[in-house]
Amino acid sequence: MEILKLAAILFVINGLTIGGGYAMVPLLQKELVENHHWLTNKEFIDAIAIGQVTPGPLTVMNAFMGFKVGGLLGAIIAMVASYLPSIIIVTLVTRHYLQYKESWIVKGSFAGIKPAVVGLLAAILIFLGKSSLTSVPLGAVATVSFGLITFTKIDPTFIIIGSGILGAFLF
Amino acid sequence: MTSLRNIFLAFFKIGTFSFGGVYSMIAFFERELVERRKWITHDEFIESFALGSMTPGPPIVNTGICIGYKLHRLPGVLVATLGQAFTGTVLAIILAAFYLQAKDNPLLQSVMKGVAAAVVGLLGSIIYKMAKKLVTGYKSVALAVGAFGALAIFKLNPIGIILAAGVLGLILNWRR
Repeated sequence: MEILKLAAILFVINGLTIGGGYAMVPLLQKELVENHHWLTNKEFIDAIAIGQVTPGPLTVMNAFMGFKVGGLLGAIIAMVASYLPSIIIVTLVTRHYLQYKESWIVKGSFAGIKPAVVGLLAAILIFLGKSSLTSVPLGAVATVSFGLITFTKIDPTFIIIGSGILGAFLF
Repeated sequence: MTSLRNIFLAFFKIGTFSFGGVYSMIAFFERELVERRKWITHDEFIESFALGSMTPGPPIVNTGICIGYKLHRLPGVLVATLGQAFTGTVLAIILAAFYLQAKDNPLLQSVMKGVAAAVVGLLGSIIYKMAKKLVTGYKSVALAVGAFGALAIFKLNPIGIILAAGVLGLILNWRR
C-alpha cells in the first residue's frame, strides 16, 4: 500500500510542477522525508546525487526512491507514476500544437519564443560555465569539446567518455 | 513515419551516454536527432524544447515526448520515453540495491568534473548553431538578447520569460 501512496504523490507532483526536476526537489523532500518518513534526509540527498551522476534525466532519482520504499516493483511503479502525467499532458499539447501550428496566433507567438529560448540557454551556459570551469584545464576541456562538436562530425558520446577519462587523471 | 525500433534505439543511445545532466541531453538530442538522423529540424527541436519547458513535469522528458509524438504519435511517445530513461533507471536501481556511496567517491567526482566541463562546450556549440539558424533579423536578435539579459542579469523566472516572449512575438507578428 505504501508504494501506491508513493505513486500517487509522484503522479501529483510531476503533474503540477512546471520548471524542471530541481523544482520538484523541495516538494518531494517534504512528502517523502518529512510527512511519510520513507527516506532519511541523507538518503534523499543521495537520491538526488544518483540522479545527477547517472546518464539521462535527473528524474531517474525517483526510481531510487521507489526502490527504497518497495523494491524493484516499487522502482518501476515510481517511474511510471512520475512519467504518466507528462505522457498524457505533453501528448495532448503536442497534438493540438501540431493542429494549430500554421495558425497566425501560434506561429506569431513561437516566432517570439524560439529566439528567446536560445537567449535563455545562452544565459544558462554562463551559469554552468561559472560553476564548472573553475580552472584553466577545465576551460580547455570545454573549448576542445566546443570545437569538436562545432567543426567535426564526431559523436558527443566520445566527448563525454573522453572528458570523463581525462577528469579521472587530471582533476 | 519513423520506425519504432529506430526511435527506441536513438533515444536509448541518448539516455545511455548523456552524462552531465539536462544540458548534456540537449546537445545529444540536437546532434543525434537533428544533425545525424535528420528526423526533425533545428526549428522543430527548439519548438519541442519550448513546449516541454512550459508543460508540467521534467522539461527534458517532455521534450522527448513531444518529439516522439511528432515521429510516431502515441507509440512514438512511449518508445521514446522508455528509451530515454532506461539506462538511468536501471543504474539508479542497481545503486539503490547496493547502496553505493556514489556521491562521496573521489574518482567519480573527478570524472564528473571533466564531464561537466565538456558539457559547457557541447551546450555552447549547440547554442551557436541554433543562433545561426534561428536568430536572424533584428526582431529575433532583440528577443534573444532580451531573454538572455532577463535571466542572466535580472534572474527572472524562465517560464515567465518564455510566456512574455510569446506575447511579444504575437504583437510583433500581428495579422496584417
